[in-house]
Amino acid sequence: MEITFEHVTHSYNPNSPTANLGLDDVSFKIQDKKFTAIVGQTGSGKSTLVRHINALLKPTSGTITVGDRVITPETNNKNLKPLRKQVGMVFQFPESQLFEDTVEKDIMFGPMNFGASADDARESAHKMIKLVGLDESLLEQSPFDLSGGQMRRVAIAGVLASDPETIILDEPTAGLDPVGRQEIMDLFKSLQQDGKTIILITHNMDDVANYAEEMAVIHRGKLIAQGIPQEVFNNQELLKEDLLTLPKSAAFAKELTEKGFSFEKLPITINELGTEIEQQLNGD
Amino acid sequence: MEKIISIKDLNYTYPEAKRSAIKNLSLDIYKNEWLSIVGKNGSGKSTLTKLIDGLIEADSGTIEVAGQIINEENIWEARTKIGIIFQNPDHQFVGATVEDDVAFGLENQGMPREEMVKAVDEALILVKMADFKERDPQSLSGGQKQRVAIAGVLATKPQIVIMDESTSMLDPDGRKTVLNLVQQLRSQQDLTIISITHDIEETELSQRIVVLNDGQIVSDGKPEEIYDLGADLQKFGLEEPFTSELVSTLRDTIKLPDGYLNEEELKEQLWKLHSNM
Repeated sequence: MEITFEHVTHSYNPNSPTANLGLDDVSFKIQDKKFTAIVGQTGSGKSTLVRHINALLKPTSGTITVGDRVITPETNNKNLKPLRKQVGMVFQFPESQLFEDTVEKDIMFGPMNFGASADDARESAHKMIKLVGLDESLLEQSPFDLSGGQMRRVAIAGVLASDPETIILDEPTAGLDPVGRQEIMDLFKSLQQDGKTIILITHNMDDVANYAEEMAVIHRGKLIAQGIPQEVFNNQELLKEDLLTLPKSAAFAKELTEKGFSFEKLPITINELGTEIEQQLNGD
Repeated sequence: MEKIISIKDLNYTYPEAKRSAIKNLSLDIYKNEWLSIVGKNGSGKSTLTKLIDGLIEADSGTIEVAGQIINEENIWEARTKIGIIFQNPDHQFVGATVEDDVAFGLENQGMPREEMVKAVDEALILVKMADFKERDPQSLSGGQKQRVAIAGVLATKPQIVIMDESTSMLDPDGRKTVLNLVQQLRSQQDLTIISITHDIEETELSQRIVVLNDGQIVSDGKPEEIYDLGADLQKFGLEEPFTSELVSTLRDTIKLPDGYLNEEELKEQLWKLHSNM
């Protein structure tokens, strides 16, 4: 499903003196079946932006189109279930939303809420727990007896169990150790390869460089750049204004330019950087 | 060097757990040192801090804090020497304003009001948050919240500050500010810092790194010694440092010195090679 924002503005407390714009006239497209990263400083409006995609927030003005569904300021809360089934959202620290007495029931909750039979939901829970890299035997346990990393995976399994077409991830790896982070990121990449649209909010620019095909930069509620990561990380204006942090490889390459190296475009992954350095030193 | 914490043959197993969380662990920590304890989720690092702070009691072994072996009778006294900054700043706030919040720990200690007001002001100046003292803590950014949490800890004048993943929820700018602040306070206030993290890049300001795996110390050394483990760090669930990964992709075709190179050293090496072309 393609997702389109047209002149979307969102004002928090619109009629009060403390009104502030969470989003300010944002227009852009998120392409179907792609892996899109959304970056920006804390408080820039990233979370506000993605909450419009499944109508957790409604625009103050403008429209959002998700497939054939149109969300406007007038959209009411009736009939949002089909949209929310299509657009799954993994919030920050999703483990804080676990509540059932077994892992199985927790994963089954989503599909049943969207009308699946208990049998289908159970089957889905068994499939999803394996998909997120956990053992089926955990299904009988209380989610609260699991480690933090395991709870995170159960929460993600719960969102995947409803089989959403689009998956929105709000800093899904915050607080996970590096191995756990890579496993989870690889899982999202493979879901995308199986045909899902992935939208990832992150502060980790190396994850953007390694996994995303498209990225959007939000600053003070405005969309200030969009494109493939290689291009956006080479956007001189953004770099000059310090509006974007570089992936480690690009930051290192930039410093090498003071040591005699020159890059037509800053490499954004270690492999690209290694290849560039080798070519420049070995003279081919 | 003077020891401030000395841990001997420590063992701990959680009730009903099959495996022990801490196995025969011995570790000396020195005064004014910044020690990083790194390890993946479940390696035992948080358990170790809970044991040091007396929140849980060891099955066997001893922990000496500032010359005193901690036991049930003196744990409260030992705790006044230790301040902990936790992972999630939102879980640490109790006051309606920043200054109330910093005062909380002092009220618990029964400090007279006049002294308290002074101590709070001093602590907020140290963390550069004095201008925010009348603000609601919830209106602050993550990095600012952690600075207030640090002020709350400093106000109680601890000798040891434990940072339990306290920058893992911050964005890169917030993280840098907090780590630099801690470094500065360590020398100004003669503090001992124990920071717990699974992010190897957060350990570069520390003087020593201990790697925990399955409740045991598997490596103990200066940062450059630990970083030199390179890809082997992945065995312990840690990320290979950036320069080490880059150097290993370059080594096939480019001659570089052995051992770990930090970013500055690697840049110098590449610059030399480039100038000699």
